[in-house]
Amino acid sequence: MAILKLDHVVKRFGDFTAVDDLSFEVAEGGIFGFLGGNGAGKTTSLRMALDIIRPSSGTIEILGRKPGRENASEIGFLPEERGLYRRMTVLDTIVYFGRLKGMDAAPAKKEAERLIERFGLSEWTKSMVEKLSKGMSQKVQVAAAMVNHPRLLILDEPFSGLDPVNQKVLEDLVLEMAKAGSTVVFSTHIMQHAERLTNRIVLLARGRKVFEGTQEEARARLPGRLMLVAEADPSTLPGIATATRAGAANGWNSWDVSLKPGVAPGDLLQACTQNGFALRGFESHRPSLHDVFIHLVGPEQETQP
Amino acid sequence: MKNILLVAAREYKQIASTRGFWVMLLVLPVVIGVSQIAGRFFRPQTDAAYVLVDQSGQYAAAIDRRLNLNYQRVELGALSAYVQRWELGGIQPDAVWANGERWFSDDQIAQFVADGGIEAAWEKIAPSKPSAAPAYVIDPPTYARAPLPADVTVDQGADAFAEGLAGPLKGDEIDTPEGERPLALAIWIPSEVSATSPVRMWTNGAPNTTLVDNVRNEITRVQRARALESSGLAPEIADSIANIAAPVDLSAPPQGAGREQVAIRSALPLAMVYLLLVTVMTTGSMMLQGVIEERSNKLLESILATIRPSELMYGKLLGLGAIGLTILGVWVGAAVGAALSVQGIVADIVNPSLAAIEPWMFGAMLFYFLAGYLIISMLYLAIGALSNSLQDAQAYLMPVIMIIMLPVVFMMVSVVQQPNGTFPIVMSWIPLFTPFAMLARLGAGVDVIEVLGTGAMLAAFVAIEIILLGRIFQASLLRTGQPPKLGGFLAMMMGKHTG
Repeated sequence: MAILKLDHVVKRFGDFTAVDDLSFEVAEGGIFGFLGGNGAGKTTSLRMALDIIRPSSGTIEILGRKPGRENASEIGFLPEERGLYRRMTVLDTIVYFGRLKGMDAAPAKKEAERLIERFGLSEWTKSMVEKLSKGMSQKVQVAAAMVNHPRLLILDEPFSGLDPVNQKVLEDLVLEMAKAGSTVVFSTHIMQHAERLTNRIVLLARGRKVFEGTQEEARARLPGRLMLVAEADPSTLPGIATATRAGAANGWNSWDVSLKPGVAPGDLLQACTQNGFALRGFESHRPSLHDVFIHLVGPEQETQP
Repeated sequence: MKNILLVAAREYKQIASTRGFWVMLLVLPVVIGVSQIAGRFFRPQTDAAYVLVDQSGQYAAAIDRRLNLNYQRVELGALSAYVQRWELGGIQPDAVWANGERWFSDDQIAQFVADGGIEAAWEKIAPSKPSAAPAYVIDPPTYARAPLPADVTVDQGADAFAEGLAGPLKGDEIDTPEGERPLALAIWIPSEVSATSPVRMWTNGAPNTTLVDNVRNEITRVQRARALESSGLAPEIADSIANIAAPVDLSAPPQGAGREQVAIRSALPLAMVYLLLVTVMTTGSMMLQGVIEERSNKLLESILATIRPSELMYGKLLGLGAIGLTILGVWVGAAVGAALSVQGIVADIVNPSLAAIEPWMFGAMLFYFLAGYLIISMLYLAIGALSNSLQDAQAYLMPVIMIIMLPVVFMMVSVVQQPNGTFPIVMSWIPLFTPFAMLARLGAGVDVIEVLGTGAMLAAFVAIEIILLGRIFQASLLRTGQPPKLGGFLAMMMGKHTG
């Protein structure tokens, strides 16, 4: 069953089309990456899913229902732009969000205390938010998003602004939530997090979907690349699209080779043997999601690797 | 509804945790308390004693009589007001106390005293008072003459006399027939009063000009009579001339109609107008800052993912309304409590004001107060949602506050002078000013029809304002960039915003 489904969704702000005919589905369970550069339409799409704004056209289903606040008890949401009530204590803040999501006071407090401990904020429980560092404030926000044990956890750029240690803490938490049965949808323009965490991804550019599928399916969209160390130019070998000399040492040349679509590195190795092509080195290169993104979207929609 | 209450509780807690709220909440009770304490220290002594030595034998009885007449005049006035308030004039229609508080001539007072004074009058009234009426409390005489202490000598001159009273004049209390009292004045009248042998008086330092003036006037009156006598007039004629007072029949308006009475009757409603202005402007600013904070630190998106914008708005209004009611309750409670539990300037103002207000008026006052609170709070909410910063907000607020404040200030002055004049009546029918104008006029007497009419119009206005400004609030919550221009406002009000 799709826990989130967008069907030909369009969102216009005046003359500007922020989301253009976007359709994709997120199956229940696992971690789903919603990827794209800045201004790709990720946040707008998530806001529509949460009924914060309404689509210009198209339909959205979330948890099998129309978007609306009645779904709030089953959803956790961490927005991209974060903020907290400065003059509220850490505990009160998390409990408040739990209660807004329909929790009773006692369970909300109990879960808030557990999360505070889990995030290492115990000594700040009664402190005003204004006394916290930025990293600690972000942890409080994450805790507020998770306090209701959401069936669907939506994280909009969750890693931005966090130091590497806290990024790791959050990654672990996301994995923990997915393991516990929550479906996690997170948007990011930092591809390394998506590579480490996601099962499936959607790639957006200029409001349009450019890819939907698994990471391997995304990588398969790129022509194979490898590095050959050979004396002669390999361009004449079958299956090679381009070969560029990258360097030379002791009479041997390094060649950056792109394969034609559908040609696997093993096919090239076989061709070398069959043609008596002298090889000293052969290194297959696995494309990153960043490479995939650049290939599919173009460098003007730059992301962070 | 649960979400609205949660937001309201948070807003309430947030504002109640600020120092500004507590300062505002406690300022009136503290002022009342201080005024009571200050009043005790600085007001003229009312329950005081005097010591009088009259070596001439001509003045003491006259002074005692004058002070008693003055005391009886005050009591007669208060008893007459009591009789009028509880409609007891029929007990003895020809009695001096039966026709309301007014100016009483010396002859009337003298007759009142001759008939037994305040005690005799109350004995006549008490059996017929309604059960709901509190008993009339007869105050003890303001000034009681203390017998000369045994250790004070009078045969060694005025200075020795004063020296003997040094203790009481420095603050020790002195025995009187009314119990122990501070000695306000010691009077030495020599056997022959003249420019070289004057009457001498010593005070204890506390201001008590009334007592001093009374004594001096009475001595003057007696001297004048003696002077006339010595010029050959018969003592009765001399006394009669010395007692001449212009025959004046001073007509006072019936209670509640004179300007002073109108001001006193309107004290509580007028205080509510000021309270409304002060509280809504102050707490509205706090809420406005809260909305700007929510917008500027981007936490609204988290909130709006869980509750509707309308729930957020109503929660904020409810929270702010509860803050207003808290302040109202504490301020009115403090004023009424002070009026009921103590005497003094607060009691003098609040008691007649409370007595003048019919029970249904309390409901009307609460309604106008809350409606006024809602109208202005909603303006603050919408401005907060439109503004990216406090500077932005101030640019919107300044004209709004001026538009509200200036006419209200003029109207308040006008109401005190002429509560049912054209200006206050016109203001009563302009919804933005209705709560202020009607609150201000209630104490002076307003037709029920007018209350119902303005109330219905006000309720409709508040509903329309909440819908239209609510749309601006909701459309502006996640807006970025510069605030919209007039066309943008209108589009928002019509619900034609994007987003």
